[in-house]
Amino acid sequence: MSIQVENISKTFGQFVALKDVSLSVATGELVALLGPSGSGKTTLLRIIAGLETPDAGSGPIRFQDEDVAGRGVGARQVGFVFQHYALFRHMTVFQNVAFGLRVRPWRSRPSKAAIHQKVSRLLQLVQLETFANRYPNQLSGGQRQRVALARALAIEPKVLLLDEPFGALDAKVRKELRQWLRRLHDEIHITSVFVTHDQDEALELADRVVVMDRGRIEQVGTPDEVFHSPATEFVTTFLGQVNIFHGRVEDGKVHFATLSWESPEHAEMPSQPVRVFVRPHDFEIETHRNGAPSFRATVFRVHSAGPNARLELVAESGEQLWAEMPLDHYRDRGIGPGSAVFLTPRDVKVFADGESPSE
Amino acid sequence: MSTASVVHSVPAIQARSTAATAEPAVVRWALIAVSLGFLGLFLVIPLAAVFAQAFEKGIGLYFQSLVDTDALAAIRLTLLVALVAVPLNTVFGVAAAWAISKFEFVGKNLLITLIDLPFSISPVVSGLVFVLLFGREGWLGAWLAAHNLHVIFAVPGIVIATVFVTFPFVARELIPLMQAQGGEEEEAARLLGASGWQTFWHVTLPNIKWGLLYGIILCNGRAMGEFGAVSVVSGHIRGHTNTMPLHVEILYNEYNVAAAFAVASLLAALALVTLVLKSMLQWKVARQLAQAGELQTSEVSETSEVFREATNSGPARGSRRLT
Repeated sequence: MSIQVENISKTFGQFVALKDVSLSVATGELVALLGPSGSGKTTLLRIIAGLETPDAGSGPIRFQDEDVAGRGVGARQVGFVFQHYALFRHMTVFQNVAFGLRVRPWRSRPSKAAIHQKVSRLLQLVQLETFANRYPNQLSGGQRQRVALARALAIEPKVLLLDEPFGALDAKVRKELRQWLRRLHDEIHITSVFVTHDQDEALELADRVVVMDRGRIEQVGTPDEVFHSPATEFVTTFLGQVNIFHGRVEDGKVHFATLSWESPEHAEMPSQPVRVFVRPHDFEIETHRNGAPSFRATVFRVHSAGPNARLELVAESGEQLWAEMPLDHYRDRGIGPGSAVFLTPRDVKVFADGESPSE
Repeated sequence: MSTASVVHSVPAIQARSTAATAEPAVVRWALIAVSLGFLGLFLVIPLAAVFAQAFEKGIGLYFQSLVDTDALAAIRLTLLVALVAVPLNTVFGVAAAWAISKFEFVGKNLLITLIDLPFSISPVVSGLVFVLLFGREGWLGAWLAAHNLHVIFAVPGIVIATVFVTFPFVARELIPLMQAQGGEEEEAARLLGASGWQTFWHVTLPNIKWGLLYGIILCNGRAMGEFGAVSVVSGHIRGHTNTMPLHVEILYNEYNVAAAFAVASLLAALALVTLVLKSMLQWKVARQLAQAGELQTSEVSETSEVFREATNSGPARGSRRLT
C-alpha cells in the first residue's frame, strides 16, 4: 500500500514543526525520515498515523488512492512502533501481541484458537516464542522492541511506521537489530517508514532516505544519492563528516585554501563567494608535490586505531581540517604529527550563499 | 486522620545510606530513640488508651454501647455517607487526573490549584460555605424551602460537606502517576483499534489500579472520620444526623466516657485497617518498582546473548517468504 501526503503543515503554538511537506512512499518500500531533533520527522510520522492532526489547509493523506485524513487513528490500520515501545506493562508478551485482535468487535474477532495461532506465528517471526509468558519489564531493550513490532504486525497493518526504532538501544544491539529488521522487511514486504536521527541507520537500512531540516524536506533519494550527490548544504553537512572552506568561484575555477580547482561545471556560475565542502576521505595525501593541484597542510594529530588513519591538519591558509587515508598508505609514507603534507581534493561540493545546489 | 499524609504519599524508592552520609552511632541511636519515643508518646499510648477506656467497664458494656439505637444510627449514617462520597470522588478523581495528565486546556493550572482547596481551608469554613449556600438565610435557602427540600441539618448536607472535604484524595494520588506514565500506551491501544472505553478499561485502569486503590482508601478514611465540616452542617440530631465522630463527641460531653470510647475505638480500628492496607499497597508498588529496576539491569547482558544466537540463525531463514 503506497502512502502520499501533500502540502502538510503543522504548528504547535508558535513552533512550526512542518512547512508544506509533500512525500510519497511506494508500495513495499522502506523509507527513512532522517534529520536532527526538531526537524519535524516524528511529527510527519505521527500525522501519517493519525496521532496528530495537520493544520487546516493541509492536503490529503492517501493510503493507496484513498484519502484517510478524516479517519480516526484506529480506522487507518497502521502498525506503529514507539521509540520507547509503549508495551502494555501489565500484560505478558502474548497478551500484548494479541491485544489488537482481542479488542475487535466480536463479529470480526478471530476465535481464541485463531488468535493463539496467529500470535504464536508472530512470536516465532520475531524469535520470541519462548518469551510468551514474560512481562515487558522482564525483557531486554531489543526484545521489547521486537515485541512492539510483533504487536504492530498482528493487526495486519497496511503500513508500518517506526519512531526511532533503535534509539533506546545500546550500540551493539542496535546494529544487530537493524540488520534483522532489514531481513524482516525483505521477508514480509510491508510499506514501512521509520524515523531516525542516525545517518548510518538511515543509509544502511532504507531503500530511500528523506532528509529533513526545520520542518522541510531537504532531499529525497537513495542512500547513494543523498550521500554522494547531496542537493543542499544542509544534506552535505548532515550526512557524514565534511570540511568546510570559504572560497570564490571565478571563470570556471573554484579558489579555496590556496588552491585553484578547475571546475568546468561552474563555468556558468557568476563570480561570487561560495562555500566549498570536501569529505575527509576525498583527499589524496602526499608528502611531496606530484604535479596535481594541491595545497599544503601540517599534521598535528593522528588517530590510527581503525581501518583508516584519521589526520587532524591545519591548512596553510589557516583552516583546521580532517583527512582520512588507508592505514597502510599512512604507514608507508612515514607521516606523523608535525609532518608537512600536500592535499589534493578528489571531489568537492560547492554551494553559493543561498544554497543553490551545484557541483 | 491527618491530611498531611496525603501530600507526600507516593511511595518513594528508599535511598540507601552510603559511607559518606553515615553518622556516628551515637547520633544514629539518638535520632532513632527520639522518633520512636515521640511516636510512642503521641500515637501508641493515646491509641492504647482509647481501647483501654473502651473496655474499662467490661466487654458487655462495650458491645452494649455499640448496639445502642443512636450508635447504630450513627454507624449507618457514616457508612451511607462514605458509600456516596467515595464513589463520587473516585469518578471525579479519575476524570480530573485524566484531563490534567492527557490534555492541554485553558484553566488547567487553575484546576490543579482548586483541587487542593479543600486541604488548605479549615473544615469548619468548608461547612459554613454550605450553610451560606443552602441554609435558611442562604442563596438557595428560599428556593429549597419552597420545594420542601432539606439540605442543611439533614443527610444531603452531610454528604455534600463530606464530598467537598474528601475530593482531593483520589485526584492527588493519580495526577503524578498518570503524568509520569504519559499517554503512549493509550496511543498504542488506539492504533491497534481499541475504542476509548476499551483503552481505559484494558490499558489505563490496570496501570493506575494501585494508586487508585490507595487514593480510595485514604478518601474513605477521611470520609468516615470527618468531624469539622460535618459538625457545622449536621445539626447534631440524635439518631438522624449524627455521624460516628459527632456521636462520640456527644457521648463524651454527656460524661458517658466508656460509651464514647467504645464508638471511638471503632473509628480507631478503621484508621488502623486503613493504615495496614495503605502500607501493604505501598509495599506492593515499591516491590514492583524494585523488581522492574533489577530485571532491567541484570537481564540485558544475558538476553543480548540469547538475541545474538537468534540473529545468527537469521540468514538461513531469509529464503522463506511470507507474502
